[in-house]
Parts: sequence; structure tokens; C-alpha cells
Amino acid sequence: MGQLLAVQDLAKRYGATVALGGVTMGIRAGEVHAILGENGAGKSTLVKILSGVVQPNDGTMLLDGAPHTPASIFAARGAGVSTAFQELSLIPHLSVAENLLLPKVSRGRFWPERRASIMQRAAAILAEWEITDIAPDAMIEDLPLAQRQRIEITRALSHATRLLVLDEPTAALPDTSWLFRQIRRLTERGVAVMYISHRLSEVREICQRATILRNGASIETVDLAGVDDAGIFAMMVGHAPAAPRSETETATGDILLETRDLHVGAIKGLNLTLRAGEIVGVAALEGQGQQDLFQALGGVRKRASGDIIVGGRSAPLGTPGKAQRTAPGIAFVPEERKADGIFDNLTAATNIVMADFASRSTGAFVNARLERNRAAKSAERVALSPRYLGFEVGNLSGGNQQKVLLARALMTGAKILILFDPARGVDVGTKQSIYAMMDDFVANGGTILFYSSELTELVQLSTRCVVLYNGQVSAEVSRADMTEERLLAAAHGPARTPPTPLREAS
Amino acid sequence: MSDQTAIPLEDTRKAQRISPTVVTVATIYGIVALMIVASRLVSPSFGGLSQLETILYLSSFLVFCAFGQGLVILVRGLDLSIASVITVGGVLSAALMDGSNAGLFYVIPAILLACALIGVVNGIGVTVFNVPPFIMTMAVGIIVYSLCLGFTGGTPRGFPAPVLNDFMGSRFIGIPAPVWLLIAFAAMGTLVQSFSPFGRKLTAVGNNPEAAYVAGLPSRRLTVSVYAISAACAGFTGILLASYANGATLRMGDDYLLPSIAAVVVGGSSILGGKGTFLGTVGGAMLLTTLATILSALGIGQGWKTIMEGAVILLALILLRDTVFDSLRAVLVRKD
Amino acid sequence: MTDATHPSVAETRAARRVTLRHIADSAFLIIVIYLVMAVVYVAVQPSALSAYSIESLFNNSLPLMLAAAGATFVILQGGFDLSVAGTISLVNVVIATTPMEGPGGALALLALAVALGMAVGAINGIIVAYLRIQAIAATLATMIICQGIALLILKAPGGMVSDFMVYELTASLTDRVPYALVIAALGVVFWTIYSRTDAGRNLLAVGQDRKAAALSGINVQRTEFFSFVWAGAFYALAAYMLAAQTSTGNPSAGEPFLLLTFAAVALGGTAFGGGRGGVTASLFGAATLMLMQKVLFAMGVSSFYTGVIQGMIMITAVLFSAAVHHAASNRRGA
Repeated sequence: MGQLLAVQDLAKRYGATVALGGVTMGIRAGEVHAILGENGAGKSTLVKILSGVVQPNDGTMLLDGAPHTPASIFAARGAGVSTAFQELSLIPHLSVAENLLLPKVSRGRFWPERRASIMQRAAAILAEWEITDIAPDAMIEDLPLAQRQRIEITRALSHATRLLVLDEPTAALPDTSWLFRQIRRLTERGVAVMYISHRLSEVREICQRATILRNGASIETVDLAGVDDAGIFAMMVGHAPAAPRSETETATGDILLETRDLHVGAIKGLNLTLRAGEIVGVAALEGQGQQDLFQALGGVRKRASGDIIVGGRSAPLGTPGKAQRTAPGIAFVPEERKADGIFDNLTAATNIVMADFASRSTGAFVNARLERNRAAKSAERVALSPRYLGFEVGNLSGGNQQKVLLARALMTGAKILILFDPARGVDVGTKQSIYAMMDDFVANGGTILFYSSELTELVQLSTRCVVLYNGQVSAEVSRADMTEERLLAAAHGPARTPPTPLREAS
Repeated sequence: MSDQTAIPLEDTRKAQRISPTVVTVATIYGIVALMIVASRLVSPSFGGLSQLETILYLSSFLVFCAFGQGLVILVRGLDLSIASVITVGGVLSAALMDGSNAGLFYVIPAILLACALIGVVNGIGVTVFNVPPFIMTMAVGIIVYSLCLGFTGGTPRGFPAPVLNDFMGSRFIGIPAPVWLLIAFAAMGTLVQSFSPFGRKLTAVGNNPEAAYVAGLPSRRLTVSVYAISAACAGFTGILLASYANGATLRMGDDYLLPSIAAVVVGGSSILGGKGTFLGTVGGAMLLTTLATILSALGIGQGWKTIMEGAVILLALILLRDTVFDSLRAVLVRKD
Repeated sequence: MTDATHPSVAETRAARRVTLRHIADSAFLIIVIYLVMAVVYVAVQPSALSAYSIESLFNNSLPLMLAAAGATFVILQGGFDLSVAGTISLVNVVIATTPMEGPGGALALLALAVALGMAVGAINGIIVAYLRIQAIAATLATMIICQGIALLILKAPGGMVSDFMVYELTASLTDRVPYALVIAALGVVFWTIYSRTDAGRNLLAVGQDRKAAALSGINVQRTEFFSFVWAGAFYALAAYMLAAQTSTGNPSAGEPFLLLTFAAVALGGTAFGGGRGGVTASLFGAATLMLMQKVLFAMGVSSFYTGVIQGMIMITAVLFSAAVHHAASNRRGA
């Protein structure tokens, strides 16, 4: 069968940063083709180039044999390539109908089309793609995330005449059956689908072939039927996965943090105890209240009721600053590294010692060298090379940015670390450094509560694991009987019922 | 998205050697020096140290109020109330000192405190009530000006202390006192903005307010204090302006509002916050002042003068864009 | 009763949410404020209803209303345009130094003025949208440059404005409805249509979420660019009506407009930062601002202190509109 899309040596640089350094691959007509790779492997850049958001520096793309060089999303759509983006591209304050039809909502250019007629056209699109539970005149901002994601996908479906690009389409979808049904309808017409997902089981279900990306380059295109998960993983990381770590003893240290009947956001009456010397993992499916819990303990979010007891005293934790200043101290590393974590204009050293500036008096004046010296010790604990300390954090890789954030958390001198997915989207080397830091931290009398979206990580690191379901602890799993299967089962609820769709929960 | 692999180490090292901040500040002072030297062509009395002295003297007022404006812009704000607050400083010093040196040492702090309180109101409106800085400071400016109008009945009375007037005309080791003041102020301001934990915290708040909050910085308190400082600086400018002119007028602050923003922007700060140096702002103020004196000496009309001023701001904006530095860096890195 | 006739809790909540949102998004609030103020004005000053005083009120208000309408285009997409002062000065002196008599002359001048305003807007648009220079800083520079050019054209207040413009444009249709009011009403009609076209919708979409708008296929740069062009056109109209109203040219005619324009936009409830509000709201915001001065004067408030009340009302209006909007969007998923 002929190639629908042929990509040759595609490259994209941002200044001195290489985002994509040579991708070669092909997609056949009517095929569902997966792109696999760790975060930072270049998947999003590839998507952006295909859909006309950014233009490549080098390389060629052929679509049906003709050069594909879209200058804009609009141009890409004109060529039959449409994309459902990972960070949803919907305008919150417009209706579903308007969002589906953007940027040309109205038929007339200078005279507006009647609202009823716009709604009618949108309703036809919704009906065509089997969406029955969303009204065309609903406001996007009123819809739960899962419905927004379906609108995003539907918009892409309605424009895809040659190639549909789906970037993590199931991140907020509780159920893949609708999506897969639509994908099959599309491929029957000969439209190709590029499918990007972290979930290997999904990929195996819907895709025929996969191209693996690593560090911005394409490694190999494989038939999914002929390769096992371990093989794919090895291609993604470039070497065999790290050996499991040694067993940690069960902790019997002092209680550093305790919550009693904590209510915050989706969290309903949570009791949790953190002792010195233990790493407590939190496992949960998306949207079970884990964000609320971590933000409350970090002081970012105010609790509704219940008690948070730090070092034996009830602590209100009104702000992150107050949380840091409690007796054994709480340091919080947030989920969104770029949005809530780093100061990209400032040097790594300044980013790290900011913890000092925030919590205690630090003398009248500072300069770059002073800051580097002061940050050096914390940087060493997370294995951040001192040569990076003088760089602006915005210029560092995601992994090093994460190390900077962790170093800042250590710099606070806190004994309680609240880490939300600390090793997400970083390379394997950085992961190992972060794991080592965590072990070292609890060995020195600290305690860590951490959430991870990867079960492997939880099993590997936790001394015990708390599983959240629907805002409550559905299970507590000790080190001895911790397996991924056990965590996964508990994460799906106490009675092993299928997960409640998000839209019904909210 | 964290979709960018690390820059190869070698490149970063070389790129880092050329710090955009240093280049910006150096460029501004280079242009000022060039303009002063070139102005000899305009008038033989120009181009020397005496002209430098005049420029420093004249730009000092702008520098004082631009410091506060710069800090406000650093935390993603804007202070449109400074014109009115300058007037408050001037009007109050004329009225309260009333031509006498007695009580100078509590009148000045009292005026600065009063002005700082106006800034606190600005800061509270912006942080606690989330009013956009543009609206909040504009409204407070209108209110304060209106109060000045009512307080003076339309014509400010009184004179600042004679000592102050003498001070503005005095020399110290051959250099005018206000120039000394400017130098001290520039040194202090630079220390505060670029070499103190306070300045670092402000830069952090301006660079990423959410991250600043999560990192435990008292963002609100910092922001309020910045507006207070800005207002105090404006009040200080007002006192000096009144001392210089030996009296106050209601419109005395008008000539400093837009130039204070221009000086900060020409000085290489980002109007989006999170980036900027006070030395750059001082350079920006000097650049604008130098341009104005040269254009006056040229004897060209007010129209061309104004056009040139706007053009210089525009040019500075275009030249100081990040992309220009990025391409400069890229070229230099490749050459190495 | 059956379920069908008995709306569920969720439905009632949805209904209330829609109403609140409509209030938050439309010019409803500011129109109410304006009408209340008008009633107060008439109560304090019965002579306000005379044809003459209505005419002069609208003639006085119109330039600011048009300027605020123009600035709204830029603010809605999340930008900022300080060039309003410079553009008005420039267009104003061009009109006063280009004598053209009669209705034909007035029309030609109108075309010239609007073309000039749009040209300035296009320059702003290029600098901001395509050269990616921060809007506040860039338009500060173009404002100063325009003021300089205005000074070149006319050194001091003076010049001539044709009798037709001065007497006819400031009069009333059939001696009842001031032309100024007709023009303002046309502005409302224009916006009602424009905001429903793709261009108008894109303006709001870009203001709400630039990135999402770009990923939706909207040409963000072009949207930004045209917002400045439209703004320039409206500033020119403001300058044109200002010339008719003052019957002279003044190279610093635009200066009083700088802050008042933004005050009017804020009063109308258009969010600084973009995405929410509209031209109609700004037209009423400006009219309210001007009416407020009259009311305060009629109530005997010393003119010295009108600024205090103006400032307070601006802050209150912004807080109030933010609160209503907050209440409207907070209902979701509660």
C-alpha cells in the first residue's frame, strides 16, 4: 500500500535548542499509526509541524506525493490534515457550535449568519460523530473536561479528509469506545490517523504500527504485533529499564504530619499519617482528588474542614509560605513545573535560593556568586551539576528544571516533602537522581508524600501506598504486598466496579 | 510543553558569556556617550563634561520617579498615579514648610509617608481587590489630583524650605548636589533591584506570579510595598521639583508620567515584568534627557522634537527585542 | 405534576446562570447605570430635558464615546492602545487645516480623516502584531510621534472647520434627535452586527485565550492587526466630531482623551486583558462618564472634587463587573 504521509529528516530548532533532530517515517492510507516516546522526545513538536503551528528548519513532508508545507493550522486543514491537541484548543466563553466551526463560524463574511442556522449546522456535525449528550449551544466553560475533549476531537474529525492527528486524545476520556468507533469509521474511508498516547494498551488495541521517537529523532517504525512492551520500552529509553531498588524497612519514626477527617475540593474525609523515614506513595486514576490533597498540604489550597497536624500541632497552612514555616516544615513541588514552579528568567541558583529569601532573612545583599555558593549544597543532593547554576532556568532541560525545583524544596530545610509527580516527563538519568534524593531524604529523618501517574514508580519507591478513589482512601497497600496489579485494582474503586466517568462525578 | 531537549553544554556556555542585560545597559550608555560627543557638532559649548553635568542634573528628577515606576513594572504593574503624587509632594512641601527651615526633618518624612500611603492604596486595590493596575492607579491618580485641587483651591500656596532651594543650587566638590544625590540614588537603587533578596523576590513575582506564590513568597505584601515605594519616590521627586522651582504648581507632575514609563522601557526592562535593571533605567532617563537638550539646542520646533522622542523610544523597543539578542547570540555562537 | 413540566434543580440553576451571564457579558449593567444617572440628572435639573441641553450633552459626549469605542477593539483582544491621544490630535489638526466646505467637503474630510486614523492604526498593528513589541510601550511611542506631527501641522490652536460641520453636524434631526445620538446609535448597530461576524468573534476569542484561538485556526496576528486599524478609524471619527464640536483645531486636542478613554472602557465593564465586553458597553461607559460630570455639577459638588467621585466610580465599576462575572461563571458545576 502506498504512503499517505512521508516524512524525511524533519528537524526543528528553537535558537540553540534542538526540539526535533531528524525524524523519518511514513503513514499509510487508512492506517492508525502510533507515535511513542518519553516526554520531551519530540512528539508535540512533530504534531505542531504537521498541523502548521510551527515550520520546520529542515526536512520534507509529502502528503499524497505532494509537498506538505502548511503555514498555518488553516492551511493544514485545507490539505486535509487536522489535529486534536493535547492542551485543548477550545475557547471557553464560546458555544460548542462556535468552537466546532472556528475560525469560520458564519457563512457570510460581512453579514452574520443567523444563530439558529449556525446551531443547526453544528448539530449536524455532532450527530454525524455520534455525540448525543452535548447541546450545540452549551458554553464550553460549563462542560466537564471529558466532554470538552470530545468536542476537541470532533472538531478535528470533521476536518480530517486525509490525516487525523490525535495528541493524547484519551487523557480526559474515561472510555475509549466512542473514540475508537469514530477512528474506525474514518479509516474505512482511507483517512490515516496519527495516534499519540502514553497508554500502551490503548495503542495496541487501535494501532497497527508505531514509530518510536527518542531525543527528537525517530528510532524505528515497528509492527505492533511483532514486538512486546519491554522491547518498545527499551527503544523509548535507549537502554533496559533500571533494576528494582533494594527493599526499604518499614518506618517507625515520629509522626510528622497527620490529617484528620480532611475535606478539601474532591477530598472527602481523609485520614493520613506521615512518619519520619517513610515514603508514602499516592496512587489514583485521574481526578480522584489527588491534586486537591497535595495542594492543601502544600498550603496552596485552603481546606474546607478537618485538621492538618504538623509536628503535633494543628496547622492552618493558609499559604505555601506558612506551610514552609511550620515546625518541621512542609515543602511542596507542584504538578505544573513551568506554570507554578520555575522562574525562567532567573538563574538556577536564584531559583534554588529563592526558598531562603522566602523563609528567612538572608543578609542585605546578594550576588550571583553568593547565590551559586549557597545553592551548591542543595544542587548536589539532587545531582544537579554546578555548572548549570549560573544558567537561566528557562534554558535548561525539563529534567534539570525539575532538579532545580527539588533543590529549592530541600533548601527550605523542611522535613516534609509533598511531591506531585516529581519524575514526570524527565529522562531516565534524572529519574534515578530524583529517586536517590528521595531515599536519602527519608533516611535522614524526613518524610515524603508523593503522587505518581506511573504505577511502576510507586511500586519501586513507596514504603507504603495510599490509593485514592472518589476523594477517599480505597486501600492502603504495604510494601510487602505491593504490586502494580494490586494498586490498579484498588484505584478502580473498592468494589472493583468500572471507574465512574468524570462528568457524572462533577 | 517541556518538549525541548537540553541545549548542548558548549553552546550554552558561549551564549551565556554575552549576557543580554549587560549588553543592553552597555548599549544605552554607549548611545548616551555618543550623543553627548556628537552634540559638539550642534554647539561648541556642548560635548564636554559640563554638558554631562547638566544632563545628569536634569535627568535626576526623572530618575527618582522612574525607580519606583521600574519596580512596579518589574512586578507586572504600572503606576499612572505618579503624576498626581509628584504634585502632592510638591504642594505639601510648599504648604507645610511654608518658606521656613523649621521642622524640615519631620515634614519631609511626613510627606513621604503620606505619599507612600497613597501607594499602599494602589497596592491593596491591585492585590486584594484584583483591579487592573492601569485602572487602579489611574483612578487613584484622578482622586488624588482632585483632592490637591480642592486642598489648594486651584492655586498652590507657600514655598519649600530655603535650605532645600539652596541645596538644589549648591555644589559639592565641584559637582552639583542633585548630581551627587542622583549617583547615590542610582547606587542604592541598583543594590535594591539587582543585588538584594528583595529585588530577587520582586523579579520572581514579576517573572511568574503563580510560582512565586507556590514558592512561599509573600506576593501581596511585596506588591503593595512596591507601589508604596513608587509613590514615595514620586513624592520625593515632587519635593525636589518644588525646591528647584521654589514653589509648586498643580501640573508639575504631568511631564514625568509618560517619560517615567519610557525611561524604564528604553532602559531595557520588559513592560511585561520580571526583567529589568535600574542602571538601564537611569541610562534610559539620561538618553531621553540628552535627546531633549540636543533637540532644544538645535532650535528645531516642538513638533520635530516630539517626533524624535517618540522615534527614539520606538527604535529602542525594536532594537532591544529579545529576538534581536537571540539572533545575535546565534551568530556569535556559530562563529565560535 | 409530571417531570416534564417540573424543571429539575440543575435546569433552574442553568437558567439562572444564563441570565447572570447575559448581564455580565452584555452592556446591560452600564445601560442601567446610565439610565439611573439620567433620571437623577433630570430630577436635579429639570431644564436638562430641553432640546438644547440634550443636544449639547450628546455633542459633548460623542468624541469620548467614539474614542472609547475604538479603544475597545484593541482591549478586547487583550492589547492596549495609548495612541488614542496622538491620533485624535493628528486627525483633528488635519481637519482644521484642510478647508473643504459644504456637505461634499465634509464627506471628503471624513474619508480623509478615517483613512488617516486607519493608517496610524495599521502602523500600530504592524509594530505590535508582526514585530511583536509590547503594545503599551509601542503605542506610547506612536502616540508621541503623532503628537509631534500634529505640532508640525499646527503649532498652536487655530485653523478652520467648515460651517457645515460646525453647525449642521452638531444639530438635531428634525430638531428633535441630535445627530450625535444618531451616530452613537449607528455605533451600537455596527457593533451588534460586527460582533456576530467571524472577525468580531475572533476578536473576543483571541482575547480569551490566544493560544487556543491560534490552535483553532484563527489568524491571531491578523486579528490583532485589524483591531488596531478599527481603533484608528474610530479615533479619527472622534477627532472629526471633536473638530465639529469645538470648531477649531488643537495640536494637543487628544491629550485629555488619554486617560478618560480607558476610564470609559473600564466603566463599561470591558475587561482589561481581553475577552469580555464590547463596543456598546464602552459607548455607554463614556456617555455615563460625561453625564456624571453634569450630574455632579447640577448637584452642586465643587468641580474641584468631581475627580474624587469619578475615580471612586471607576474602581467600583470594575469591581462590580468583575463580581457579577465571577458570580456568573462560578455557578458552573457547583
